[in-house]
Amino acid sequence: MSGRRGGPGGAGEAGGRAYRLTGSRRKWAALAVLTLAAAGLLSPWASGHPDGLERVAEDLGFIEREASVHSLSPMPDYEVAGIPWEAVRVGLAGLIGAVVLGALLWAALRALAHRSR
Amino acid sequence: MHIPDGYLSLEVWTTTTVAGAAAAACALRRTRVELAQPQVPAAALAGAFIFAAQMLNFPIAGATSGHFLGSALAAILFGPWASAAIMTAVLIVQAVLFHDGGITALGANMLCTAVIGSFAGWGVYKAGLRLLKGRLHAAASFAAAWASIVAAAGGVALLLALSGAAPLGAVLDAMLGWHALIGIGEGLITMAAVAWLTERRPALAREGAAA
Repeated sequence: MSGRRGGPGGAGEAGGRAYRLTGSRRKWAALAVLTLAAAGLLSPWASGHPDGLERVAEDLGFIEREASVHSLSPMPDYEVAGIPWEAVRVGLAGLIGAVVLGALLWAALRALAHRSR
Repeated sequence: MHIPDGYLSLEVWTTTTVAGAAAAACALRRTRVELAQPQVPAAALAGAFIFAAQMLNFPIAGATSGHFLGSALAAILFGPWASAAIMTAVLIVQAVLFHDGGITALGANMLCTAVIGSFAGWGVYKAGLRLLKGRLHAAASFAAAWASIVAAAGGVALLLALSGAAPLGAVLDAMLGWHALIGIGEGLITMAAVAWLTERRPALAREGAAA
């Protein structure tokens, strides 16, 4: 998290060169804490109502078109199986997802991104 | 707004799978240009944040919920193609690990949220900053986020209509209506995140960059 920020497509450029990503480690650390808290602690209390697309599918009568083509997902519906408490099932799934995504993106983007000038 | 397996017709899902794969290849190539090595940890963290925030459905009207999308946030922070790459990774993890969003619909979901969402958000943000001459940064972020999720919803509606799931007028009205509401949440979260994670360049650096 050190060095120059704002490559050609980054916040620096996207902001008409007026804005750049913050270099403050404190702010990025806060985002990391917020991410883990959202994934692990808040996610079990998210609204269970259908989301926008599901609502439209119900109202317009095409929700029954849904047809699963595989059952290979290890954590369907954002729940880790085999734990008696729902909050733990969901929170753990959230944490695993966030960590997997962070690691996957870090590895992939490190291979892709250009060296800074 | 994840299209599950079964909603799309064979013609639509095969076409969008091919188009989505082409867009993903392009996003990977263009990310090389847009993203610099020092930004990689921030981009990975932003992707994890977007995943986590997408889990937090918030109630809106009529026993319906909405959730954050994040395409505009990623595009504002890292550029549109890098955002498309980040959002594609989010969609793949959601479809594979959590059975959220279909495998046959992955290309369609990618085109709508990763491509349309990122470019709509980025375009509106850039236009907003130019129009407002860099003032009211928060307003530009809010408008970008609102436009990105509404545009993505429009793309989903179009694909559903092409698939014969519902008449275009009805599905477009319903998708745009709900997501215009959800877009307010999208705008508020994006506005706060952009304000927290970006800073104004010092005037000297701006002049240097412009020269």
